[in-house]
Amino acid sequence: MSVGMLIDLTKCIGCRGCQIACKQWNELPAEKTHNRGSYENPPKLSDKTWTYITFHEIADGSRVTWVFAKDGCRHCLEPSCASACIVGALHKRPDGAVVYNAHKCIGCRYCEMACPFGIPAFQWEKPVPYIQKCTFCEDRLDQGEEPACAKTCPTGAIEFGERNDLLQTAHARMKERPDKYVNHIYGEKEVGGTSVMYLSSVPFNKLGFPTYGPEPLPRYAHIAMNAVPPTIGVVTVLMGGVYWIIKRRDKMMSQETDGVTEPTEKEG
Amino acid sequence: MKLTRRQFLKFGGATALLVSGRLPTPALAAPRPAKVRWTKETATICPYCAVGCGIIVGVANSKVVNTEGDPDHPINRGALCSKGSSVSQLANSRQRITKPMYRAPGSNKWKEVSWDWALDEIAKRVKETRDATWVEKDVKGRLARRTEGLASVGSAALDNEECSLLVKALRGLGVVYLEHQARICHSSTVAALAESFGRGAMTNHWIDIKNSDAILIMGSNAAEQHPISFHWVTKAIEHGATLISVDPRFTRTSSKAHIYAPMRAGADIALLGGMVKYILDNNLYHREYVVEHTNAPLLIDPKFKFSDGLFSGYNPSKRKYDKSTWAYQTDSNGVPLRDTSLQDPHCVFQLLRKHYSRYDVDTVSQITGTSKETLIKVYKDYAATGAPDKVGTIMYAMGWTQHTYGTQIIRASAIVQLLLGNIGRAGGGVNALRGESNVQGSTDHCLLFHILPGYLKTPRTSDETLDRYLKHYTPASSDPKSANWWQHYPEYAVSLLKWMYGKNATPENEFGYQLMPKIDDETNYSWLALFEAMYAGRIKGFFAWGQNPAVSGANANMARKAMENLDWMVAVNLWDTETSSFWQRPGVNPADVKTEVFLLPAAVSVEKEGSITNSGRWAQWRWKAVKPLGDSKPDSWIMNQLMIRVRKLYQADPGPDPEPVVKLAWNYGPGEVDTRQVAREVNGWAVGDVKDNKGNVIVPAGKQVKNFTQLRADGSTACANWLYSGSYNEDGNMMARRDNTDYHPASIGLYSKWSWAWPVNRRIIYNRASCNIKGEPFDPKRFVIRWNGKRWEGDVPDGGWPPGAKHSFIMKPEGYARIFGAGRADGPFPEHYEPWESPVKNILHPDQSTDPAFKIWKSEMDRKGDPKKYPIVGTTFRLTEHWQSGAMTRNLPWLVEMQPDMFVEMSPELAAEKGIKNGGKVIVESARGSIEAVALVTRRLQPFRLDGHLVHQVAMPWHWGYKGLTTGGSANVLTPPVGDANTMIPETKAFLCDVRKA
Repeated sequence: MSVGMLIDLTKCIGCRGCQIACKQWNELPAEKTHNRGSYENPPKLSDKTWTYITFHEIADGSRVTWVFAKDGCRHCLEPSCASACIVGALHKRPDGAVVYNAHKCIGCRYCEMACPFGIPAFQWEKPVPYIQKCTFCEDRLDQGEEPACAKTCPTGAIEFGERNDLLQTAHARMKERPDKYVNHIYGEKEVGGTSVMYLSSVPFNKLGFPTYGPEPLPRYAHIAMNAVPPTIGVVTVLMGGVYWIIKRRDKMMSQETDGVTEPTEKEG
Repeated sequence: MKLTRRQFLKFGGATALLVSGRLPTPALAAPRPAKVRWTKETATICPYCAVGCGIIVGVANSKVVNTEGDPDHPINRGALCSKGSSVSQLANSRQRITKPMYRAPGSNKWKEVSWDWALDEIAKRVKETRDATWVEKDVKGRLARRTEGLASVGSAALDNEECSLLVKALRGLGVVYLEHQARICHSSTVAALAESFGRGAMTNHWIDIKNSDAILIMGSNAAEQHPISFHWVTKAIEHGATLISVDPRFTRTSSKAHIYAPMRAGADIALLGGMVKYILDNNLYHREYVVEHTNAPLLIDPKFKFSDGLFSGYNPSKRKYDKSTWAYQTDSNGVPLRDTSLQDPHCVFQLLRKHYSRYDVDTVSQITGTSKETLIKVYKDYAATGAPDKVGTIMYAMGWTQHTYGTQIIRASAIVQLLLGNIGRAGGGVNALRGESNVQGSTDHCLLFHILPGYLKTPRTSDETLDRYLKHYTPASSDPKSANWWQHYPEYAVSLLKWMYGKNATPENEFGYQLMPKIDDETNYSWLALFEAMYAGRIKGFFAWGQNPAVSGANANMARKAMENLDWMVAVNLWDTETSSFWQRPGVNPADVKTEVFLLPAAVSVEKEGSITNSGRWAQWRWKAVKPLGDSKPDSWIMNQLMIRVRKLYQADPGPDPEPVVKLAWNYGPGEVDTRQVAREVNGWAVGDVKDNKGNVIVPAGKQVKNFTQLRADGSTACANWLYSGSYNEDGNMMARRDNTDYHPASIGLYSKWSWAWPVNRRIIYNRASCNIKGEPFDPKRFVIRWNGKRWEGDVPDGGWPPGAKHSFIMKPEGYARIFGAGRADGPFPEHYEPWESPVKNILHPDQSTDPAFKIWKSEMDRKGDPKKYPIVGTTFRLTEHWQSGAMTRNLPWLVEMQPDMFVEMSPELAAEKGIKNGGKVIVESARGSIEAVALVTRRLQPFRLDGHLVHQVAMPWHWGYKGLTTGGSANVLTPPVGDANTMIPETKAFLCDVRKA
């Protein structure tokens, strides 16, 4: 038995309640952004943004559609981030959540490179940087609560439940309304299946979803793993240097009075 | 010293790494322990829009640590949008002001001051200004007892109890320039819906949207402005409903619609008029409903006419109609004549047919720019709800209200809904989506110059005695079948006076009627007039309670400039806003501004207790979760402290006319106001024994009245607002109820024991019209009420009389809903007029292009744009991520992150013409001013071809200003200083501008 999420993009109104509910629950600070001619912001996932909504204007002749897609960790059934992690800091819990243990992490960022969806993000601005990513709100799961994003979704576009049940729901919806949905549950089979799955009315490649086969990716991680022994020494030296630079920048940043940071950040 | 987890990691963790080469211990690095279990939980209601979503506030160590959707709340069921999700950041914001501040004349900075000093000084200013500008009598020698030197705006951000106190305080001081958000957001709604149906509010409620077969969202962008409404829109769609979005822009609402109809901003009446014609031409109206429940069969004076864009009786020099021909023909008893065959050429139905015969699809398409095919699709799908067992709802907001003919747009929608038989029905209605958490409540408490709590009329100097006042405003009907509910006006008015003046209101002194300020018969004191008067230097002292007119008012440059002419200003707010800091706005030298400014820190919603009323008229109680931040105080405390001080000053030094102030019943204790006591006053209580008509005591003195049927005109009851009578009676605080069971037999989602709805907990108003005159519901599956032979079942009926005993629209003297609405200033039928600023002539009547009855202001700041110089149609809108003038959102980092900059949306065609690139900087300019913005070039906007002309449109959010974490140009710098012919709500949704590369 493992949990999952079914995200039905045809129901998403792009209100971004999920984006803020995630930051609210996980106490993530705001990022400094600017309007780049789009509603989409922040521009990408980061250590401070574990989920966000991407906005897609799709023109079909004179007809325009506007599709909103939630990006974030897919909680792969066979997570390549976990496979790539040389110290076992990432693992998939029996209930399906792919989680991270900072205690074990050495900051090698292999998980970042291994992830097919570009999810794990490094805390570049921290003196003791961690890898950050969606935890499926594991602290909520432990209390029998659904993840913050799913709970806050006004239209039920994000449904949380047993993955198998959600798959059935998804198939039933597609069968009932073949005119509405593309015949594809993204995440049902991709990279061996993911816990977070999507339904859409437009082909997923138009929404920037990468195209993957059903083969689980962890085997690619093994290739990366072979590079570990010679690299490890270099990493140690580099990390020392990086730490020094970051610490210096952090000190300088703390003197700035840029308001667009979480208050607790200023206390440091 | 206490460290947060994050600080510890930054500080201690780094040291550990360096010293030992080891990473922090597992206990520190593990995910944060479960915080929900640590906390005390309190229920509140979201302080942003008026959906009224429940929020659970988690508190630990006296601090808000978590806010999330209340899973028990029947409207949002645990869900929240991005603004609602950010409430914890609102409560803890370091951007909030937490100390009273003072800015001396000419000073360039704020100074922290004590509450005592600030309140004492403000009280002195109030008295000085009141006494210096006191008008005891008007030019004809009639009592006026008002000051035109004091003005107050706000607030829809106050709780109901605070609104009630504020009304009492301001009216008590004689303030007549008394306005707030409701004027500039939905005043035209009240004028249109009250005229059409009898009450000026959203007819149904949020959950009821699920019952619809067709949903027309027009003049609203509900998915963005009221995201939780889409929980219910989505439910309706899942049950097979059609969603239609009509909007100048393709919005997040349009993205979910089955039909999207682009329409030039401001052309709404043409589009709806075309729908009326389509319904009539194709016999799609609900005939039984139209005959039994509307005034369609009633005969109108044969002298009534319409030609060349004008109705009969127009006086061009006064820009006013003599409405004598807009009247019913009556029998010898004064009962209106009816032709139920609907054939008489003078019956409303035939007049309607004739009026809209000009609105054929070709003409409409040329006005709106919408393709004929799309128009027909919209008409066909929506008009299908004319079938008796089908029902459609209309959701609208500022896109309709903010026009010189805003009232008439809403009237047009009311006509459509009446023809289709969609009022009073589950899944039907004309649903005014209100945008602020308590703007419905603040409207009901009438923080508006022209009305008193419960929509009673503000006395005018010509209403010289209480008797004359009551006669003037109590309608009469000779029809025995008309309930004519406003016949009870004296009971509500006298109870209000008893609340105002307590023991000082006696039968001998007309219950204190002469203590009330009276407004001049001919003068308008509404929003635009207020700022004109301020600009002209007539207003000396100004209060802004939770409102930010420097950003939110049309022609904002004028409002900002006008503030410089004030002697003093008191801004009560969570933040230092553009209004409180108008003296340090860009381009202004503070030394030149002599206005004294007091900035008082207010408590946020989770820091106080009270009720707010959502758009669906549910008054919901909010509990206090934490103490106010720093030295901030609830608005009720501030009002109380101020009034205590002002009254003391008047006792010490009476001045010209102290009586109205000192005779006010102001007994709210020396400290914190018990808002429950105020809520009980709002409900109303027996001052003496209340008797029935046989002389039996039904409410002993001192007890709460059950509801407004127990209010009396003899002085035995006091009530601050008859509409809310029943909200806090002897059964307790009904607004605090949390039973989320749907008790309705057809499960239409009334949740009648969750909170309390006005009037008398009726959830769908006009519900007698959901049945035929035998009491049989038109749609038995989704019935609202039905007659079981003995009594009504379901919702609280609009009066308990048996079916057929009374006409169904009990608030109208004739008893019928008005398709022909003679009460409005600019016509009984809506007619398409062009906005004040339009790039095209009105093709229906070029010589009467604009609405004939709105007021045109003449100061040098009231500039009109020439289409040759400003050829582009501009419109404004709101975002999900920001709110109103931005004070409540541009100060929250999470929301700023999502929408960091002011922008303007435009089509690729326009951008190409002007050499503008997506993401580049542009200048938008109108005759009033110019602003800078980021260009957002999108195919969601498109140019229109109107009667042969190519017309471009641009659209801008109006949330930005010069304060807060993100600053930017205010769209209202561009918007025009003209308002609706009926209510003077400014025309901010269609104006002329130009755009160029910065």
